Amino acid sequence: MTEVRNRKSEVAKHNLSAFLSFFWILCPVFCILSHASAEEYTFDISEIEKKPYQLGGYAEVKPVLFWLDKEASIYKLRFYNRDEGSNVEEYRAELQLEGSIEKGISRLYIRTNTQYRKSYSGDSQKTILYEGHLSLKPSVSLTIDLGKKTLKWGKGYAWNPAAFIDKPKDPDEPELSREGFIVASVDYIKSFKGPLKTLSFTPVVIPVYEHINDSFGEINNLNFAVKLYLLFYDTDIDFIFLTGGSKTTRYGMDFSRNITTNFEIHGEFAFINDHQKNYIDRNGNNFRKEYDAKSYLVGIRYLTELDTTYIIEYYHDGKGFTSDEMKKYFDFINRGYDSYVSTGNDALLKRALNVTEGNYGRINPMRNYLYARISQKEPFDILYFAPSITGILNIDDRSFSFSAELLYTGITNLEMRLKTAFIAGERKSDYGEKQNDCRAELRIRYYF
Amino acid sequence: MKKALLFCFILTLVIVMPVYAIDGTELLKQIDRNLNPESFESYRKLINIEPDGRKKEYTLFTVKKGLDKVAALFLAPASEKGRSTLRLGDNMWLYIPNVGKPIRITSLQSVVGGVFNNSDILQLEYAAEYNVEKVKEKGNEYILHLKAKTKTVAYDRIQIWADKNKKLPAKIECLTEKNLLIKTLYFKEVKDFGGGIVRPSVIETDSSLYKGYKSVMIYAKIKKRNFKNEVFTLTFMPNIESLR
Repeated sequence: MTEVRNRKSEVAKHNLSAFLSFFWILCPVFCILSHASAEEYTFDISEIEKKPYQLGGYAEVKPVLFWLDKEASIYKLRFYNRDEGSNVEEYRAELQLEGSIEKGISRLYIRTNTQYRKSYSGDSQKTILYEGHLSLKPSVSLTIDLGKKTLKWGKGYAWNPAAFIDKPKDPDEPELSREGFIVASVDYIKSFKGPLKTLSFTPVVIPVYEHINDSFGEINNLNFAVKLYLLFYDTDIDFIFLTGGSKTTRYGMDFSRNITTNFEIHGEFAFINDHQKNYIDRNGNNFRKEYDAKSYLVGIRYLTELDTTYIIEYYHDGKGFTSDEMKKYFDFINRGYDSYVSTGNDALLKRALNVTEGNYGRINPMRNYLYARISQKEPFDILYFAPSITGILNIDDRSFSFSAELLYTGITNLEMRLKTAFIAGERKSDYGEKQNDCRAELRIRYYF
Repeated sequence: MKKALLFCFILTLVIVMPVYAIDGTELLKQIDRNLNPESFESYRKLINIEPDGRKKEYTLFTVKKGLDKVAALFLAPASEKGRSTLRLGDNMWLYIPNVGKPIRITSLQSVVGGVFNNSDILQLEYAAEYNVEKVKEKGNEYILHLKAKTKTVAYDRIQIWADKNKKLPAKIECLTEKNLLIKTLYFKEVKDFGGGIVRPSVIETDSSLYKGYKSVMIYAKIKKRNFKNEVFTLTFMPNIESLR
């Protein structure tokens, strides 16, 4: 058994070094290819002719290698009945297709996402309709959308506490596209002279029934949301409201403003009426607490003269768990694991798994986080090259994740990114109990 | 008699002088108007050329209204398609489809990389951002010395070399407060775009900061067109394609 594990570990390490080398080999090869294809520039009028239909998207491959933390609670929860060695590999491929047809004032838009994943748990493939809606635009002031749509509300980069009808972002990959909800929405825009330059009003209806938006909240409800946007004294301001029955009524606002040309501040605030929090004690007994939750975010984006961008955000999630609540959850997992090791009975672990999904298992389940990202554009005069580092600190328990990435976009329509991430923290802390200690990945994406 | 002659001479000078004095602000406004109508749509291609000859191209559809409203939509390459940028005076935003809501960007950044920055790509009228300090005449050219009206303008100073007859720029130097050269824009290949628009169709730039790098902007189409103010709003950014 140990021999098999060691062999797996060696193979994994070999594969990792192979794909890291692959990145560095690819860069100059593509540079040479790109140079070889250089021609004189032209601008043919046919390039700008508008077609009634459009097709595009991207294809990407992403091999990932994880270093597992066998002492971590989440490792015990997910791997208790298997031994995968100290590393696991995963190979992901993704195809995102988008297309539209336009006629008169109407436009039909569709975006699908197909993911193939080969990992220690086997092969899987799924295709999801991310967006698919009909837009009617009787005038530039009015747009009516019907169908599946991502609304992308809020001003935060890593988190959006006021984005009540969006799927949550992954702060480790905040720019990844996400699946929308089926909605009916209207955008009405009005411009003015004076300190109030723009006003836009967006009412949204979100039906939640069986097989329609059933992940949004309680089914058999028709929900209603509104966003009022103002550009007032050069500040973007949104007021947001959601009610219905699928989720408790909530109010939000956000803002964004440039203090100077290279210094932006932004913030979000959300007030959630009667939030219900489900939690467990060390013995796995379930409890429910109801209270009004307040979440907020403040952040800055700062660009230096050397083209270094700093994004810093502080996020408080009033819906999140306290350190004590998380410790009890980890204690319960460890109790379940000990019970499984001594008796072979995994009933407690299965109960722990049930409270993990969508609850303790959220990407950031606790209350106070700090996000910092520093990216440098084109260092050493290497055009289209952008290295960056990102850190996310859980302020409550001082655990953190740190990642470094190298992005190269010098070849038209090709994007290559090498990323490594480390997480650290004490036992019974948020990041300290994640199943991986470290991750390395190479992402190659081709747009068409 | 002598006094009468002197009086007539001075009076003649007083009457004639204004005819020859150059009103810098009016001249700058005329240059602005000759470059573009007040409200228009255009198609441009931006090409970044590296010292080794490698290049990257971007195609943009641009709409502008009045002194301080401009928006641009990326039509190519595929990796940038659908992105749009909006400028309202000193405020600038970038919208990336599928990713998120419009984010604020700065005039000194460049959404395309290379020598052109956001302020060059979303250029407002020069008269909206600069005051004319002085105008010199040299041969067949005017040289306009301009100073930024506010600290938020991308370049503290610019100098425009403009053809006296056509009142079109031939060269623009972008400078720091202390007159250090940042970049030079060369206006080339004057073309008749129709509708009375006759202007340079190619703008080349090089930078003293990026030795050997060059960027080129080529205009394929410029047309007078009026837009509603609502086009130049964050909410409309995902819909700029519908204006084509």
